[in-house]
Amino acid sequence: MEDMTHADRIMSTQHDSKISAKGVQVYYGDNHAIKDIDVEIDDKTVTAFIGPSGCGKSTFLRCINRMNDTIDVARVTGDIRIDGEDIYDPKVDPVQLRAKVGMVFQKPNPFPKSIYDNVAYGPKIHGLARNKADLDEIVEKSLRKAALWTEAKDRLESPGTGLSGGQQQRLCIARAIATAPEVLLMDEPCSALDPIATAQVEELIDELRQSFSVVIVTHSMQQAARVSQKTAFFHLGNLVEYDDTDKIFTNPQDPRTESYISGRIG
Amino acid sequence: MNEHISSAYDRDLEGITTLIMKMGGLVEEAILKAARSLADRDVELAESVRAGDKIIDTLEIQINEEAARTIALRAPVSKDLRSILTVLRLAASLERIGDYAKNIAKRTSVLVEMSPVSGSDAALRRMAREVEQMLKDTLDAYLRGDADLAEDVRQRDHEVDQMYNALFREFLTFMMEDPRNITACMHLHFMAKNIERMGDLTTNMAEQVIYQVTGEMPDEARPKGDKTAYVTDPG
Repeated sequence: MEDMTHADRIMSTQHDSKISAKGVQVYYGDNHAIKDIDVEIDDKTVTAFIGPSGCGKSTFLRCINRMNDTIDVARVTGDIRIDGEDIYDPKVDPVQLRAKVGMVFQKPNPFPKSIYDNVAYGPKIHGLARNKADLDEIVEKSLRKAALWTEAKDRLESPGTGLSGGQQQRLCIARAIATAPEVLLMDEPCSALDPIATAQVEELIDELRQSFSVVIVTHSMQQAARVSQKTAFFHLGNLVEYDDTDKIFTNPQDPRTESYISGRIG
Repeated sequence: MNEHISSAYDRDLEGITTLIMKMGGLVEEAILKAARSLADRDVELAESVRAGDKIIDTLEIQINEEAARTIALRAPVSKDLRSILTVLRLAASLERIGDYAKNIAKRTSVLVEMSPVSGSDAALRRMAREVEQMLKDTLDAYLRGDADLAEDVRQRDHEVDQMYNALFREFLTFMMEDPRNITACMHLHFMAKNIERMGDLTTNMAEQVIYQVTGEMPDEARPKGDKTAYVTDPG
């Protein structure tokens, strides 16, 4: 360690951080939705964003794959980097970025296509498969990773919309990971699911952590406690506290965090 | 601390606090009564301490049940979680302290049949009062969330240990002087040891209160005073 150069040290400290945000501000028209957020999100880790409705957690999540670009009145400033690369650089193609930063939404939203085509769609448009065999392999791998293969393998040609809610959400996860992303963003992925389907998706999230950096927005504090290693508490557009999940839930430092997680009037 | 959005949750936590304060009050009383029954040679009072221990034991069970129910239904986190964990530990320690008081009362019933050993009753009573005061302060510290007061209690255990050291040497002297003192001194020594252990348990409780308030167990060394493990002669 002694003979490391300064640059080496910077590289080594940056190694664990997958996403790095500095001075991020988001405005929806006149509304200042995100206020000067700095955060380092680790690789191969589940990070949970918690906070009351309208606190900015989903807005900030959507900054990470530039989903806010699709909203005309939204303006994002500051610096967000993935592996040191500025994702708001004009040279970055948001479509390519979103292949690298997958997203799963609150309500399962499979395409009105077959299970197979739902998963194959991304790899096809991004040219990730050279032939049908390649594509078959990607579909199977993605469905296996999403813990849906056993249930879906005999009905790959039936419509994705015919699956149960929990299966549909796992199909959406399979679709998101089919493009081999590095980051997976999840915006309340279990809020429309029953407890069993929720447990399955949570189990899946824990496995996905081996391969991705997972960022999950959740209204369920228990879910944040169950699945994440790091928790960020947002309040009124500010990042109030960001720490190890067990620290946040046993001994948070900020009284606002304390009030929120323990269900108190803030 | 602000109130919970769910007022029933607040009522649950308040209910548990009330139980622990009630239990603490009974244990304080048991300590004082046990010491007084010895000093006054009051067998009836000693008997009431023995009988009262059942109520203390029942309260511990009740507190454990309430705490388990709250954990299951409310999934407490942060301060609420630490508060429940603290309550469980406090109840366990209080129950043990209650047992020690009962044991003192039992020995009192035997000791009244023997001739008193000079000065020892008063010394034991002083020691018991000191521990009772520590316990009272610990319960106050718990109720007020006062980590400084709990730390103060933690430091005071040293004094109880020193009282015990002095008594230990005294009993040793009495027994060497006259073997007829041995039976009484053995009982008295166990009583002193019981009170010394009460002090240790109270210190643990105070540490638990510090954890509840600050989120961290105190780890810095505190003065340890029981040196009797190394005593070879009364000198």
